[in-house]
Amino acid sequence: MKQDTTPAKPSGGAIPLAIFAVAAFALPVVLSGNRYFAFIAGVTLIHVLWACGMNLLYGYGGLMPLMFAGLAGISAYTVVDLTAAGWSFWLALPVGALFASVAGTVLGLPSLRLKGFYFTLCSLVIQTVITLAFVYFAGLTNGDTGISQIPLPSAGGGQPLSALSYDLVLSAAAVLGVVVLVLIVRSALGRRLIAIREDDELAGMLGINVTGTKLIAFFIGSLFAGIGGALYAPYIGFISPRSFDVLISMNIWLMVAFGGRGTIWGPVIGALLLAPLSFLLQEYYTVKDVLYGLLIIAVIVLMPAGIAGGFGRTPRLPAPDLGVSPQRGSSK
Amino acid sequence: MSTANLIILLSTISTGLILGSIFALVAVGVTIVYGSIWMPNAANGQLFVLAALFGWTMTVGWGIHPAVAALLVIGLSVPLSYALEFLLIRRFYDVPNRNVSYFVLSLGITQILAGIFSFTYGRWSDQFQLPPLVGGITFIGPLPIANNRLMVLALALAILAALFALLRFHRYGRAIRAVFQNRDAAALRGVNVRASYSLSFALGNAVIFAGGILFAFAYSFDLTVAWTMSITAFAIMIIGGPGSVLGALIIGMVFGFTQAAVSTVASPTIAAFSYLGAMLLILLFKPSGLFAR
Repeated sequence: MKQDTTPAKPSGGAIPLAIFAVAAFALPVVLSGNRYFAFIAGVTLIHVLWACGMNLLYGYGGLMPLMFAGLAGISAYTVVDLTAAGWSFWLALPVGALFASVAGTVLGLPSLRLKGFYFTLCSLVIQTVITLAFVYFAGLTNGDTGISQIPLPSAGGGQPLSALSYDLVLSAAAVLGVVVLVLIVRSALGRRLIAIREDDELAGMLGINVTGTKLIAFFIGSLFAGIGGALYAPYIGFISPRSFDVLISMNIWLMVAFGGRGTIWGPVIGALLLAPLSFLLQEYYTVKDVLYGLLIIAVIVLMPAGIAGGFGRTPRLPAPDLGVSPQRGSSK
Repeated sequence: MSTANLIILLSTISTGLILGSIFALVAVGVTIVYGSIWMPNAANGQLFVLAALFGWTMTVGWGIHPAVAALLVIGLSVPLSYALEFLLIRRFYDVPNRNVSYFVLSLGITQILAGIFSFTYGRWSDQFQLPPLVGGITFIGPLPIANNRLMVLALALAILAALFALLRFHRYGRAIRAVFQNRDAAALRGVNVRASYSLSFALGNAVIFAGGILFAFAYSFDLTVAWTMSITAFAIMIIGGPGSVLGALIIGMVFGFTQAAVSTVASPTIAAFSYLGAMLLILLFKPSGLFAR
């Protein structure tokens, strides 16, 4: 994790951003004739948003939060329950996203003590608990059956939004997500986060507030998860605990790792490639599982830096002869 | 105490013993691999189910005698482990922080195996039942218990004892433990570190396979057992102390009894919540576990 994730240019330029924005807004309009493809495009855009949030935590923060989908689920269930209770969707959305953020910040607290595998395992446990809780508190979530026929939000006047205008909302969310990520990465916050990823003890000694930075990262990353989850529920029209289980977290992680963690556009490309794939293969969901598993292994073994980082493991330089072991904690 | 309550008590104890010994087997398998090559094997549950399904195919599909099938299944784990080790595992032996890579790798293996199971075995049946190893029923006090389950219990305990003896007294076991403790020092003392790595990977998987096939003889199972088993084995490993065989044994037994008792009075979901809660607390406050080496 130390040598191979320092991109030459730390942030996306204005031109790719403009291209992405134009494409994201044009796509729903172009595809509006064919609902099926437009739908896939919409789901992909939600995954772009999720991948950006995961990228902030995993790519820039070096933390692998496998409870990401669970946070999206918390927001989705909150929004669905609030709208069912008569709230406007546009009011419920920020509330649900904020719920997810607060939950994510609290559940991110173990990252202050645990590093590497231990935090990942901890987040896996948290994800499992969240999934179990979705099943267990059936009064709020309707248990394993899930909640179906979630209506699209209304436009304020009372009649529901047209599918096209909701697609454009999703485009706006995805573009906004990328823009926010670019802004964060360019800011001092982003640089502090990268410093912590590289070596948090050193970062602390340099005067960086490690605790605060990690918690802010979790707050923002979970906000991405929450907004995505809130937008996902009415778009698909159906949510169940399976919509937000550990496999979904792994899939979002895979988009980031496959695309190239710690780069702006890598995870976006990863989401653009993998999200439609999982949708097109929905009929053959078992094939999808095998394919995703193979991809996970391929990413780990062959291309740890992802598409954006190029193939091949960065050659490890021979350890400098300092009389101390450079692989701290690796051999036991 | 009335007879009914006595039966409930005795059956809880017997279930706890059987489940506990199987949990201990799987957790020991996971902890040996983690202790030596730093691989947190999240695929343990899928391997567990793989062994059970192989056993099902051999006994129900091909009509092989259960005892022979059990030996075949455990034997099969050896070439499988070495193939896996050769293809994937050995690439990371020298990578720093390899446990995260290994963890994700094993999650990938989990996903592949889960996909394969659901389009092969998942299509044929959703509940699998193996023929018993031995027939007949023994009465312990008022409680009737199938000889088959007693046999499973005896075998599981025997395997655990053999494993313990192997790790403690045999030179291979001593080599594995030496590499557990200090890889560089062990290498300097003439231990073949890589051979000991692949050996402990194979040994760990063989123990997981043994747990799977024994579980399949004792209980009918479905494919969802895999995920529950993965989480449980991890919880046992973390609470017992990663790399500690004794910890895995003791905590595995404790978990077996907890599962049996909680399932009697409440629901399995509550049992799962309690494991996960215990694991979280240990992770946060004593990440080295209760029986750290």
